[in-house]
Amino acid sequence: MFDAEKFIEKTVDQLREKIKGKALIAFSGGVDSTVCAALVNNAIGDRLIAAHVDTGYMRKNESIGVKKMMEELGLNYRFIDASKEFYASLKNVEDPEEKRKIIGEKFIRLFEKTAKEEGIEYLVQGTIAPDWIESGDELRDTIKSHHNVGGLPEDIAVKLVEPLRDLYKDEVRKVARVLKLPVSERQPFPGPGLAIRIIGEATPKKTEVIREACYIVEKEIENAVKQGIIEKPWQYFAVLIPVKTVGVQGDKRAYGYTIAIRAVQSVDAMTCKYSYIPHEVLDNISIKIANALGDKINRIVYDVTNKPPGTVEWE
Amino acid sequence: MVRIYVIDNGGQWTHREWRTLRDIDVDTKIVPNTTPFEDLDNENIDGLVLSGGAPRIALESKLGKCTEYLEKADFPILGICAGHQFMAQFFGGKAAPSKVPEFGKIELTLLKDDKLFEGVPKESIVWESHNDEVTVLPEEFELLAESESCKIQAMRHKEKPFYGLQFHPEVEHTEYGEQIFKNFVNMCKT
Repeated sequence: MFDAEKFIEKTVDQLREKIKGKALIAFSGGVDSTVCAALVNNAIGDRLIAAHVDTGYMRKNESIGVKKMMEELGLNYRFIDASKEFYASLKNVEDPEEKRKIIGEKFIRLFEKTAKEEGIEYLVQGTIAPDWIESGDELRDTIKSHHNVGGLPEDIAVKLVEPLRDLYKDEVRKVARVLKLPVSERQPFPGPGLAIRIIGEATPKKTEVIREACYIVEKEIENAVKQGIIEKPWQYFAVLIPVKTVGVQGDKRAYGYTIAIRAVQSVDAMTCKYSYIPHEVLDNISIKIANALGDKINRIVYDVTNKPPGTVEWE
Repeated sequence: MVRIYVIDNGGQWTHREWRTLRDIDVDTKIVPNTTPFEDLDNENIDGLVLSGGAPRIALESKLGKCTEYLEKADFPILGICAGHQFMAQFFGGKAAPSKVPEFGKIELTLLKDDKLFEGVPKESIVWESHNDEVTVLPEEFELLAESESCKIQAMRHKEKPFYGLQFHPEVEHTEYGEQIFKNFVNMCKT
């Protein structure tokens, strides 16, 4: 069985051995990067610098929350607002693999810049097993290029350190619980963020729509969990499908996009079952999305696909 | 500690096989399918898992050095998905594109009692992901399980401790996956 305490002990020793000088951690505020930050912090203390990038594709109020958390964890941090750059680089880009690779490169170039300015040699990433498995290699097919593995450019000016490579999310959560980190039960959120929850071009306008829809889905599902109506899903979010359908709003014809709601059960993201969400909960989500997003959205559907054949995220 | 290695044929769930074995206290390691048999033998392994992978066994007839392992091994081998299809082909059976490829949740029906399925009910939920399947059972094998769309879901060699499974016992959503691995591990111990 996976022993979180032994893992922490062994990893901190290895990190102390490996990292001479300063290290930068790519800090999203999720479980993986927060666990990594805590481990590296234990190993090298204030020689670790955390960098959080606001890509513009973060969820509602997310980056502000991450900033607060970095302060609470006592991390030495840099906050990089790169929303404009990310929006510009994804203009007219529709292909999901292309999006992921552009985002992967953008991240790494920003980290390299900070590393260069501050004389940092190592970049710590919270890469976990599904990231490299699904990114593919000589033997494995590429399912999707995770931004931190398959999305990395070939020439990188920093040395990568990835202490969680062999772990799955449920094991990372075990480590997080031992380390008493507040994020241990947080749902996964992919690095490319909302950019891959918008099918096709991820424009700033569509980003605002999906940001609100994701917020509503999260809030309503979390409410239902609190009331004991459902078990907490592994991941729950909304996807914007740029397919327009006809509706009627205020006696007038409406012609707007579609929102898909997705909620799945899993332990490691390698297989998943769609969650059985009761109609009363779906109903709440549907009404709230319709009211909040008006004529931008006039159709809301629930995704009933397992993995395989689907994946958790749509892109 | 019993030592069972996982031969990596490039599957999405190769690492899950490693994890399942590790979780039940097996001394395990993932090794590339280009590893010569002698190297494995030198490490005194007690058993081998041949992982699945993207290669289409029905279309290409090679899978690393899996031929060597099946020729020379006297310890138990568990072939999963592509590993299972390759095993069938090696022993004179046939693999071909599935008429109905299966992905995700499927009901498995056991047809015969066997040590590998001890503690597994006649009907259970397993997880699948395949475009090809074994269509002709090799003569030296017997059929152990089927599903509605795939008639050869599990098979075993009549004399050697070799098993093939089309479904994936290593993933979380296969109901009795860990039990099947435990049963396999027990066979490797003796």
